[in-house]
Amino acid sequence: MFRHGMFLLMACLWPVWSVCAAEGDRPLWERVDALILAKSDGELAARGTDAEFLRRVTLDLAGRIPTTDEVRDFLADAADKRVRKIDRLLASPEYAARMRDVWHVVLMERLGDHPEWLSFLEQAFRENRPWDQTVRQILDPQESDESLRGAAFFWTKRLENYGQNPVDYPALTRDVGRLFLGVDLQCAQCHDHLFVDTYHQADFQGLSAFVAQTFLRTDVKYPAVGEKPVGSKIEFTSVFTKVSGSTGPRLPGGMEVEVPSLVKGEEFEVPPDKATKFPGRPKFRPLEILAKQVTANEQTNFDRNAVNRIWFSLMGRGLVHPLDLHHPDNPPSHPELLELLTKEFAGHGRDVRWLIRELMLSETYQRSGRWAGARVQSGGKVPAESSYRVAIERPLSSEQLLASVVLATGEPELSLLVLSPRDKESKAYTQELERFRKAFSNIARDPEIEFRPSVKGALFLMHDAEVLTWFQPSRSQTVSRLVPLSDEQLADELYLTVLSRLPDDDERKTVQEFLQAEPEQRAVRVGHLVWSLVASAEFALNH
Amino acid sequence: MSGRLSWCRPVDGQEQEIAMSMSRSPMCTPQEHLWSRRQWLGKAGSAVAATTALGLGVADSIGVGTGSGLATAAFGEELKGLDKQVLFVWIDGGMSQFESWDPKPNSQFGGPFRPISTSLPGVQLCELMPQTARQMHRLAVVRSLCTQDNSHSAGVPRILRGDPKNRGVTYPYFGSAVAKLMGPGSSNLPPYVWIKPGSGGFKHENAGFLGPKYGALAFGDGLPPENLQRPEMLTEDAAGLRDELRQLANRRYLAGRMTTNTEASSAVFDMASSLLARKELFDTSLVDQRDIDRYGAHEFGRHMLLGRRMLEAGIRFVQVTSYGWDTHGDNFNGHASLMPRFDQAFASMIEDLHDRGMMDRVLVVCLSEFGRTPRINGQSGRDHWPESWSLAMSGAGIKPGVVVGATNEKGTSVSTEPYDIGHLFHTWFKALGIDSRQTEYDNAGQPLPIAHDDCGPVADVLA
Repeated sequence: MFRHGMFLLMACLWPVWSVCAAEGDRPLWERVDALILAKSDGELAARGTDAEFLRRVTLDLAGRIPTTDEVRDFLADAADKRVRKIDRLLASPEYAARMRDVWHVVLMERLGDHPEWLSFLEQAFRENRPWDQTVRQILDPQESDESLRGAAFFWTKRLENYGQNPVDYPALTRDVGRLFLGVDLQCAQCHDHLFVDTYHQADFQGLSAFVAQTFLRTDVKYPAVGEKPVGSKIEFTSVFTKVSGSTGPRLPGGMEVEVPSLVKGEEFEVPPDKATKFPGRPKFRPLEILAKQVTANEQTNFDRNAVNRIWFSLMGRGLVHPLDLHHPDNPPSHPELLELLTKEFAGHGRDVRWLIRELMLSETYQRSGRWAGARVQSGGKVPAESSYRVAIERPLSSEQLLASVVLATGEPELSLLVLSPRDKESKAYTQELERFRKAFSNIARDPEIEFRPSVKGALFLMHDAEVLTWFQPSRSQTVSRLVPLSDEQLADELYLTVLSRLPDDDERKTVQEFLQAEPEQRAVRVGHLVWSLVASAEFALNH
Repeated sequence: MSGRLSWCRPVDGQEQEIAMSMSRSPMCTPQEHLWSRRQWLGKAGSAVAATTALGLGVADSIGVGTGSGLATAAFGEELKGLDKQVLFVWIDGGMSQFESWDPKPNSQFGGPFRPISTSLPGVQLCELMPQTARQMHRLAVVRSLCTQDNSHSAGVPRILRGDPKNRGVTYPYFGSAVAKLMGPGSSNLPPYVWIKPGSGGFKHENAGFLGPKYGALAFGDGLPPENLQRPEMLTEDAAGLRDELRQLANRRYLAGRMTTNTEASSAVFDMASSLLARKELFDTSLVDQRDIDRYGAHEFGRHMLLGRRMLEAGIRFVQVTSYGWDTHGDNFNGHASLMPRFDQAFASMIEDLHDRGMMDRVLVVCLSEFGRTPRINGQSGRDHWPESWSLAMSGAGIKPGVVVGATNEKGTSVSTEPYDIGHLFHTWFKALGIDSRQTEYDNAGQPLPIAHDDCGPVADVLA
């Protein structure tokens, strides 16, 4: 089962991870690779090509494909170029905007957006704010600070109610558990979870006691969440066992917070004000405690969930998967690795940028998505995704897709905006983004995890009257740039621009034959070629 | 076939129903309830089960530059040539068996409507369905259904997935199962379409572990999907050239890679193209006014008529949904208003399929997620009742003019052999020429039965 590639890799890594006495001296990425290798059940795919790496890392850190110049420069660059590229991208303003987009989708799940929320997220990543601090700011939003108050949108969007539907507090409770602690307690609302022994009804109810008093404030224009005074515990009864219980706010596995009994009229730190409609600020605020407890050092669930989600966003599969089902019967694929990442993340001040950099430096991240020849060599056994033996394809988000289509086609107006996060906030760009989201994003509350192309998206690319013009010679700067080139140069430029790599000989030949079949339609046919590559699976995936 | 279903106890009162409605959990989604501990047990099983339960699918083959790369079912391949089709009429919310297939006149819970004679001697239906009564000699009605879930959120998927034994995976809806086992057929149109009120789109979740490409393409309000129309700036020839190049690019990309995602991408473009080629199906101006009059100009009538046109075009599985049958309040006025529209469209469909000689190849199934309670509640309504209810079938493989099973005098329980949805899945597969005992799904190496292991077909309704 150990073939040559495997031996070579072992030979390279063995001295490092066996001789080195102090584990902590070795960079994290090396230890990641060693732990993946140690559990590997077969060959690992080769290291990805430079072009493969550049496209992957640019999509991950800048949220777009690389420009033609970036590809050409990178391919021509010398040694150490991968680490230099990672560092340059991490230092770019595009990084913060990309992280904002990633975490916006993770935390809001296409429920909606708000400019103050988006700018809160972007600033957090621009400053590389420690992740626990960011989450505290979300869970207990501070309205006094204008740059932070948008964080309340996490709550306010979920506290809106539509028509006669009541606010969905159970869903809110569920989201806090799923998104920050990695536990989906939904099925433990009415009874202990049927299949997960460690998910108890009391856990759901304890978590719900942190949020049951929240409401949407309407006295101010910005997103703001209010809390009503809490005077009692939550009562609940199992629909199966009929056993009743009561609980104050309590995190799963944690200590119950005592609900103070306050004299009527003395519940408020800042009393309500009828004139301004300010609803008051109670002395006892469960959100304040929630924010502290969720991010407390001893709350390893918090760090474990964070690193698992960051790992997933770069590797395509969570070490614990599904991402929100952390429990003993759903163990991580690589338990030591998850523990290592969790510990190191906490030990490095919950520095997201640092963790991303380390993961990207690993061979695991840089592995090829191609499993060439393996069928012949090892009987066609497909490596399980959870082995990370081959890079896992990941879907492009609507945000990544628009930016990439704009760059690939050279649509004249949007391509002026696409490289600058500030310009992407312009109306022209955001309007187009809305259309792409409608065509390609999941519906609200449906986490964007796997690649799920739709007929709707296909028809949008095939027939949307606006997008079709982006491939017309009169509008596409890519087409007008390519048309005058020789067939061979044209093929190279086409593939560099759209797929961020050089074509192989077959592909060059196809381009040449296709163009020569109808020379008088050269410009139109170049448009067809650009379209076909934009509509390909290779373009739609981060591979 | 197992003996009497363990959960199907004769009850006269409503205690059990009440107990069950208490146990309803408004937040539990069926997917989560289908998860068992089993999937986490055992090293090998866990990875597979964990991904597939979410419909992620696992690559079932690798393309090595051949470009063919299409995953094929390990079993059931030979079935794809068969020309059998399915019309699946889904009455969402729960049609009352008392006000339709199993009237109980002059009984405690019978309600105000009278029974009428039908074209099948000795068989009566509710007076709210006179046209269907005239088609009764072509139908097979089972009056002895006893199923398990009395909430919509769990009952709908349980019925539509055939409630197989829990193996830690999410089973496909019947439409997705047929799409997988029988393929799109020679029409090359999407194998599973769903005509429904409200929004349309691609419903991946229906496919369960089979993977997104076996999901339903839903025509919301019977309308074609957005952007089906090709703008004038793009000629048909140009679109064809583009698509050929796209396909070539995908074949090349596949070399040495897992195929799942590329196949999914190709599948949606292919479906879009084949649908585009038949876009006249959505052109209501081509519909005969006499047909509109017969089926009814109302929503369900329009959707059933579109369904017939889809069947004529050769679509493998057509699901037509009617919403609004959850008559907890004012059940009788509700059914008095709903049933005639159903009756008109359903009877016209049976008549047309017969007249066009399509009965031999189209299996017609009409059911809900459950029936409605015998007890009439304080709001003159009937509540959810999976204990004893009915469904109707017709067409391919089904014996015409037969009533199977019976409920007791008051309609409170099944008095003959009770059948669960598992029995019906076996029956439907059999009617389509699929041996549900021999045929299995291949879920990335895990063989899975296509219908509940402990059930078998309802022999009395099979031709």
